[in-house]
Amino acid sequence: MQFVIIPGSELPIYRQIMRQVTDALSGGRLRPGDKLTSQRELAEQLVVSPLTVKKAYDELEREGLITTERGRGTFVTAAAAATDPRQQKERLRPEVRQLLSRARLSGVTVEALAKLLVEEEQHWNTERDAQS
Amino acid sequence: MNIIDFENIHRAYHRGADVLNGVTISIEAGRVVGLVGKNGAGKTTLLRIAMGMLEAQQGAVRLFGLDPRREPLEVKRRVGFVSEDQILPPFMKVEQILDLHRGLFPTWDESVAQDLIVRFGIPVRTKVKALSKGQARQVALLCAVAHKPELLLLDEPAAGLDPAARREFLETSIQLLNQLGTTILFSSHYMSDVERLADRIVMLHEGRVLIDSELDEIQEHYCLALVPHNGDASRAKLVSLDGCLGVRERSDALHAVFNLEPESTARLLEAELGITDSLCNRIALEDMFVELAGGQQ
Repeated sequence: MQFVIIPGSELPIYRQIMRQVTDALSGGRLRPGDKLTSQRELAEQLVVSPLTVKKAYDELEREGLITTERGRGTFVTAAAAATDPRQQKERLRPEVRQLLSRARLSGVTVEALAKLLVEEEQHWNTERDAQS
Repeated sequence: MNIIDFENIHRAYHRGADVLNGVTISIEAGRVVGLVGKNGAGKTTLLRIAMGMLEAQQGAVRLFGLDPRREPLEVKRRVGFVSEDQILPPFMKVEQILDLHRGLFPTWDESVAQDLIVRFGIPVRTKVKALSKGQARQVALLCAVAHKPELLLLDEPAAGLDPAARREFLETSIQLLNQLGTTILFSSHYMSDVERLADRIVMLHEGRVLIDSELDEIQEHYCLALVPHNGDASRAKLVSLDGCLGVRERSDALHAVFNLEPESTARLLEAELGITDSLCNRIALEDMFVELAGGQQ
């Protein structure tokens, strides 16, 4: 799996790594049993401190999404497949908060925002149908 | 045992203002600490005191428990040092410099040296004066790490390098960290380099430690509050609040940095000063630096 990090962001690099793993899991790009890039390798690939990568992997392991088998590597756990929809929802909370604060500043109501979401989804679906 | 301990370090230059005014920092093995602060904040002075090149007028510095002024050889054997203004002898060839270091350091590892020569493409038969700035810095780095030091002290190692050379420098540092687990204390003005390489950040300001924190803490537990000029909010009132690290007066608003999460900061401002129209947001490393080190408008 490929990772991209952006220094200078308000999201710490270890969180950026974690988020990409969880996004790949919910999107099905990572499946139980898949092997992750080793910590050292990922540190060199991304040019970030090995301690930062370790922190990301430790957190993911604590959440039960990955497991490290000594000498073999790091793998996606079986539990990672059965993601709780509630947890998925929680992951979106920070972005929703940001969106809400922007909406407030520009005087857009929550109702209008919800409508916008529905509109966008319809738009998305029509585009997908047109492609297939 | 800590790899390095600065304890209450004071240092002033003759008749000048204090450069360091009671600095205490301890670094455990394996940590990578980014030392930041505006020009003149005392970063170089602190690193020179660690190397024993300068003496603290008050306080103590210990590397591996040793005093670098009393046991300079023992300390220097276990430390690698690169500085921005390091001067290599201009009329020596690179290979002569390498020979010199090989003789000085019993722990010199020729395979590390050869790896870096190939990696950097260092022309070993060239005289130092014919090297580019980037190449000279690479030779300095090579000499600093090939004896596999337990501690690397880097004073603005990337200053003056082009972005590609800077990245190469970072890549090498990270590979060395992977291979050797070296403890590093480095100063830098490039916040993106600090974010990539460091896991802890120390910010010096007016001769003191203003921030000493895990790097991630800055993004997760610090915030910038923009407080409009209307009402009776003032710099003095904001500075007096618990958790406030600094305030700048700007034309748009008062900019205050807090060691608190945005929500808690907004609540604090409302409870203590009755400010309800502040904008509190998380802050990137570079912005934090500017807010705390930057001048008043």
